[in-house]
Amino acid sequence: MKKHPKVNEVNEFLEIASDFEDPLEVIRESLSNAYDANASDVEIEIKSREMGSDIIIDDDGDGMDERDLESFFDLGNSRKTDSIGYKGHGTKIFYKSDRIVVSTATDDTHLRAKMEQPWEKLNRRELPEYEVSERPDSKDHTGTRIRIRNFRSGEGFDPEKLTYNKIEHYLKWKTIAGSTAYMFDEEDREMDITVRLGDEIDDSQPKLETTNRFEFPDPQEKPDEESEFPAERMCKHYDPTEIEIEHDGGTSTLQIVGMVGGKAARNELPTYGKHSAQFGVWLAKDHIKVERLNEAISHDNEFLHFFFIVNCQDIELSANRETIRNKSSSVFQKLKEEVEYHMSKVAQDPWFKKYLELRREAEIKRRARKRRSSLKQRRERVESEEKSEPTNRTEVLLELERSNGTATMTVEDFEPDADVHAIVRQSGKLRNAAVHYSLTDHFENELTFEEVDLVICWEYGDPVKLREYERKGYLGETVEVDLDENGLYYGDDNSYVEILPLSEQIESTTKQAVADD
Amino acid sequence: MSQTDSLSAVDFEVSATAGDARTGTLSIGETEIRTPNLFPVLNFYGGGTKNSVYGGGIHRTVKEFMISADRVGAGDYSEFFDGVLTSVSSLTDYNVTRERYEDYIAAPIKERDVFSPFSGTLFIDSGGFKFLNNDGIDGSNFQVNIDQKTAYEIQRRMGADIIVNLDRPIAPDDSHEQRIEKARKTGENIEEFLRLSSDFDGARFLTLHGYNYSMMDAFLTEITKYCSAETLCSSFDGIALGSLVPKKDDRSALIDAVIDCRRVLSDWGFDDLPLHVLGISSRAIPLLTALGVDSFDSSTYLQTAINGGYFVSLMETVNVSEADFEQCNCPVCSSDLLRGWMEDKENAPYQKDRLGAVAMHNLIVQKREMAKIRDCISRSETEPLIQYIESTVAQDKPTREFAHRVVNHSLGGYSL
Repeated sequence: MKKHPKVNEVNEFLEIASDFEDPLEVIRESLSNAYDANASDVEIEIKSREMGSDIIIDDDGDGMDERDLESFFDLGNSRKTDSIGYKGHGTKIFYKSDRIVVSTATDDTHLRAKMEQPWEKLNRRELPEYEVSERPDSKDHTGTRIRIRNFRSGEGFDPEKLTYNKIEHYLKWKTIAGSTAYMFDEEDREMDITVRLGDEIDDSQPKLETTNRFEFPDPQEKPDEESEFPAERMCKHYDPTEIEIEHDGGTSTLQIVGMVGGKAARNELPTYGKHSAQFGVWLAKDHIKVERLNEAISHDNEFLHFFFIVNCQDIELSANRETIRNKSSSVFQKLKEEVEYHMSKVAQDPWFKKYLELRREAEIKRRARKRRSSLKQRRERVESEEKSEPTNRTEVLLELERSNGTATMTVEDFEPDADVHAIVRQSGKLRNAAVHYSLTDHFENELTFEEVDLVICWEYGDPVKLREYERKGYLGETVEVDLDENGLYYGDDNSYVEILPLSEQIESTTKQAVADD
Repeated sequence: MSQTDSLSAVDFEVSATAGDARTGTLSIGETEIRTPNLFPVLNFYGGGTKNSVYGGGIHRTVKEFMISADRVGAGDYSEFFDGVLTSVSSLTDYNVTRERYEDYIAAPIKERDVFSPFSGTLFIDSGGFKFLNNDGIDGSNFQVNIDQKTAYEIQRRMGADIIVNLDRPIAPDDSHEQRIEKARKTGENIEEFLRLSSDFDGARFLTLHGYNYSMMDAFLTEITKYCSAETLCSSFDGIALGSLVPKKDDRSALIDAVIDCRRVLSDWGFDDLPLHVLGISSRAIPLLTALGVDSFDSSTYLQTAINGGYFVSLMETVNVSEADFEQCNCPVCSSDLLRGWMEDKENAPYQKDRLGAVAMHNLIVQKREMAKIRDCISRSETEPLIQYIESTVAQDKPTREFAHRVVNHSLGGYSL
């Protein structure tokens, strides 16, 4: 007996609609639909309401007839074959609301469709119905207006978090509004896009107006010689290139276009957040950017200087269009190889090399300026006779040289990483010296006193710590520090190590000098 | 090219250029070789006697290909031996006796019956590189101190078409003083070399050493203390860039050296002379050719074969046991006899024959690539050579960036 597998319609609708959480995705789907309907103008309005967002999408496209309305509400019944929303999933995002009203006019029909409480019904495991009625000839041109009441955003996607800035960035990076198709296809239609947010969401500007075309910042291949950072506004456009790739499944076309630019040039684009999350190499389908392939840029080049878009109609997307599904396919592997190859040429472009070189030089000069200012501070400190304490072994030895005055001790050899750091000459004799900021460092570094004749330090350090070593012993030996004698005895045979605490010595010299005056 | 000191007709004629790359013909006396080209390194004398084609293990088998010996199927391989490089220092590599050594240098190579089928251009290196750490060549019961006089005498007696002065190659760790001292000794040799070889009827190449412009410029400045730039220019027929062997795996350093070398040669007025790069592995050849190098010598074909390596292409090598001979139409792989040797060492009379056949195949792969490169350049536009580089060197990820660099530097770049 043959049996047909069944589909639980309600669950399917719930599942698909639940994939969409962000009201921004409503915008993305609406723009794609408007573009597919040949609209030249689309306006989107979003207002925040207590229970969700009210959204109105108005376009002057071809409008929908009854059959189109069916595919608008049906699941997986798209009439589109070569357009963006061919899966018939996108509009199901609207089901997460309290009401959907679609008013639409084609050349022949004027229809109105209404669905009440779709989200509530789906959650009651009930399939919502919609009602279609003919409406009087209210519009004198074709187009579609969709009104969504109380769209339910997912957690963390409250409409209040939207701003014009965020929307513009989203439009340009994630929707048809960021399309680069026009660079390849002269016939590509331009579509004006207007977004209005309720004042309760963002009152910084009345509306956002843009088109469906992504435009790079103006090229500027020469550096700003006057600027402190001459490469910062540099920008080069790389011509649109079409590359055919052969793979197991046939032939595909890659459309690659891009730019390289400094930070100032990149900032002229609608960026939102970090450049590191936005720039690099984007893979796109329908000229809508999907995922980045930054490994196509070799490690020795920072990807954020690049902004390339690689469009391929043979990549397959997940239902919410956020990721590429067919990454293990032959077409994707070939695409990856070809993009890597193309980017390797860009990375070796003499202009890009020059740009990097200018950046490097500017950075070196910036560091030099910084050093100059710190040098100024250091000189001021010296002039003010304000003493700074040594912070490492080398500085301790410099203090020794300074404090020597009459040069009773000279440093003959210094290996900061050895166990015994220095060899000094005193009264013609060579002595092995450990050098530390404080005597306690010698213990903390777990160094022995074997072969050490002398410890040169800035200060003794915490006397309590020294007492503890005296009390408990050190590396199994007895140890006794004699602060008056400036010496240390250790081991059974009471070996003697001289301590030279420079801060005390300098203090006594200074005091003496004052007394002598 | 005018030859003020040399008697023979040496002529280097460039017939086409593509960017910095050039193709032409180097004619020396009776010989003629198209450039750019590769001189395979071969030891003519390897310890044996006339009966064993003067021996030399795998070298012997390669020589048998060169002379169409019956033992290797008597095929005509002469087109792959249009130029061969051998070195003075190889004479005693096989621990020969003085008697045999004397015999080896007793007659010009091409005048010996056994080598008479060979009519290519014979380049005899002075062997300076080998004499870096000692001053002579060692036989079993004798030693010959090599100075400029001896080196030239051997080159002449062996019947060279191209010779170079005895040089003192530099090493990467040399100090400035050491490099200048070597340049000074080389300068002394050059002075003597030009005097000794004033009646030489072949081509004389000047060795040039350095890793960058300043080093090469300092070298030329030092040697012109012994011999004026005008004399160098009028007496030498070519330039041999040396000292790059320690850098042979560093593509970036090789490219830098060749780019700078061409600049130095241009600034010193030597840019019309053919430029030979000594001892560089074959995979660098397409890129260095694009930069304007006219000839190379390499033993890669042979060294790779000794290690069991069979060239699938210039860029790809497999072990001979995994090779698919059906995919290659070269005369070695097309011969049942030789394929049998390569397929199973039991079939080959000696192991050297099996590897010798592989070496010959490898050389053919290299020489055919050279011909393709010449063909690209001869079309007098850069696009064919760019396409060649894109389909070969640039497909190999580790060398890709260097391929792009060379295309950008010497072939007008990509249209991006």
